[in-house]
Amino acid sequence: MNGKEGRLTLTKWLGLLPALTVLAVLFAGALVFAAVQSFGHAPQYGVTEFPTLKYYRGVLGDDGFWVSLGITFYYALVPTVLGGALSLALALSLSRRFRGKALALFLYRIPMVVPYLVGVSLAILLFANGGLFARLFHALGVIATPADFPRLIQTSGGVGIMMVYLWKQVPFMTAMLYANLIVIGRQPEEAATLLGASPWQTFRHVTLPRLMPALVGSTLIVFAFNFGAFEVPFILGAGYPNTLTVEAWRLFDNPDYSQRPAAMAIVCLLTLISAVCVLLYLMLSRRFDRTVGRAA
Amino acid sequence: MTLKLPMMALAGFVALGMVPSVAAAADTAAEQFRDQFLNGELTWDDVSARARQEGEVNWFHWGGSEQLNSWIEQVAAPEMKKLGVTLKTTRLAGTREAVDLVLTEKQAGRGVGEGSVDLIWLNGDNFYTLSSQDALFGSFAEKLPQSRNFEFDSTDPRSQLNLSDFGTPTGGQEMPWSGEQYICYADMARLPRQEAPADFEELEGWLKENPGRFTYVKPPHYIGNTFVQTVLYAFNPSGRGYQDFQKPIEEFTPEALAEIMLPGFEYLKRIEPHLLPVYPQNQQANQALYNNGEVDLACEFGLYLVDSYRKTGAFSETTETLLFPNTGMIKNKNFLTIPVNAPHPAAALVFADLMSRFDMQASKLEKIGYPLGIDRWKLSKQQQETANSVAPSHFGVTAEDLAAVAVPDTNASLVKVIERVWQAYIERKSDKPFPEIVLNAMKAG
Repeated sequence: MNGKEGRLTLTKWLGLLPALTVLAVLFAGALVFAAVQSFGHAPQYGVTEFPTLKYYRGVLGDDGFWVSLGITFYYALVPTVLGGALSLALALSLSRRFRGKALALFLYRIPMVVPYLVGVSLAILLFANGGLFARLFHALGVIATPADFPRLIQTSGGVGIMMVYLWKQVPFMTAMLYANLIVIGRQPEEAATLLGASPWQTFRHVTLPRLMPALVGSTLIVFAFNFGAFEVPFILGAGYPNTLTVEAWRLFDNPDYSQRPAAMAIVCLLTLISAVCVLLYLMLSRRFDRTVGRAA
Repeated sequence: MTLKLPMMALAGFVALGMVPSVAAAADTAAEQFRDQFLNGELTWDDVSARARQEGEVNWFHWGGSEQLNSWIEQVAAPEMKKLGVTLKTTRLAGTREAVDLVLTEKQAGRGVGEGSVDLIWLNGDNFYTLSSQDALFGSFAEKLPQSRNFEFDSTDPRSQLNLSDFGTPTGGQEMPWSGEQYICYADMARLPRQEAPADFEELEGWLKENPGRFTYVKPPHYIGNTFVQTVLYAFNPSGRGYQDFQKPIEEFTPEALAEIMLPGFEYLKRIEPHLLPVYPQNQQANQALYNNGEVDLACEFGLYLVDSYRKTGAFSETTETLLFPNTGMIKNKNFLTIPVNAPHPAAALVFADLMSRFDMQASKLEKIGYPLGIDRWKLSKQQQETANSVAPSHFGVTAEDLAAVAVPDTNASLVKVIERVWQAYIERKSDKPFPEIVLNAMKAG
């Protein structure tokens, strides 16, 4: 890297200042407050035990925490892996030439601009036991009453939650992958084909390695989002067990405000676990980059 | 390090503790007014005069009912105007928002006369929070002229509804506004009255023949807690029903509490496989299950719920109230309270007094079906007749039936234990022995 370009000049710092201020105040500030409370400093709720590990001990000693952690991973990972695969297939298909391509390129992006809560409402309207599909199957005589429709939402199976994630995130990941495919161009693939590589070999050894940075980047964003998401599991999830964010909110919402440090302990642990996962994933992808000969 | 950190914490605590006392001194006039009023040194005319001077009052209330909102605009606000005070309301999605606002302002050092909330409509948990955080104006209720409409004489057992809010002593820091009773409703077209269960044993038998046709709101939502409490009353092996659950937690050993709760919780566990496999999060979700035909009966607070929902079309024309469980249907009241940092304390007192006036109570009952918060036996003969004639119908049961099976709410300190035991024993299916679950739940408090 060139020394002159690498140095941040004063003007560059000034340009970054607004964004940095927002980050420092809203994000770092909130995180520090949460951490301090989780160690027992919350005099406004009558908690003045700072420093204590009792809230962490309480949280970690509760079986419910580990069940919720498992559920949190489950809801975050399945849509990430499944969504990554679906997006890859979709981006590859979209990069080919076909009739109506412009329309397809427009249509697939629609869920990106629709808020998550609208997706949640759609899931309820369509898949709840009083929803459109339950009524439709009931009207067609497939099921005896709408209540017999399989329970997709408000159970810890989380089908409804993951459907909303996929619906919203596949377009996002596809857009990232598709943009990369356009930049990369088709020449390397055509060269491989001319040299006698099968379609699978071309994909495996030419296309996929070049898409890897975009795939890692987009799945990382999606995973981190899903891991810390609140409103979707809160509305579509089970009463218990549910994700750690929902558990933290329950403790926070308890009329007994002295429970709030425990909620903060969960939030801090959640942040820590999420950060560790992201770091591990980045390290793995760097290692992959080195094996395929890209600079780390 | 061993010394430093506690010292720092101490310094922080002292600093935080000092701010309110410094700031509170700023509005000495309001502070003086409060002290004089609570000490009985002011006449009601003095209070009314100061209220007119203050000119406005900020009432924070749950705004989820359009009927209530329009009653406030069309009836309460004009009446308040006649007393020289403009009523400003803030409609909340959850009462907790107002509680948090009061506490945040208190924390920021805004004392008497300097906050933004004059009155909150609340009960139960939210009152408990404000009371335990020492964030209330003071014992005003018995000093208002209209307090004559309430039974505040603690030697009369009927006064408990006014003096105790989910077991937390009100200490006159809130004024009853409305009464409620936990009822169950069913669609007579789907579940005819003669087939409907009358007590919990019948419910169990009925559930075995009609699996999945009933569920209850999930604790710790208060609607769910109340259902569990009703079950515990009915199965209390001491035979004293609700009475044991009036005592505060300090009067129980874990063993004693476990003993009176076990049969009820065993019942809840026994019926769980026959329930709809979803515990709805709140009464709206439960109503949706009912309206969708997933369950045949549902329970929540609402003496006149069936009437008002039939009128608006939210319930079918064949929905009626059930007298279930006939072992005891919990009754309580909800209240108006004044927070410690009310900016217009005199206007708040005037509003609380107005809301307790018979004509306002009767109008609320007639127009929107909110039960009387004042006590019938304190009213004149003529007022009683008026109240009876304007009351909405109960549909299928009489006021006398409901009054005969009314039982009080559970002590607030026990409600928290009951919640935790439910979560451990029913929701998380803990395999620990029951007394240990109860012990843990008591320790967690």
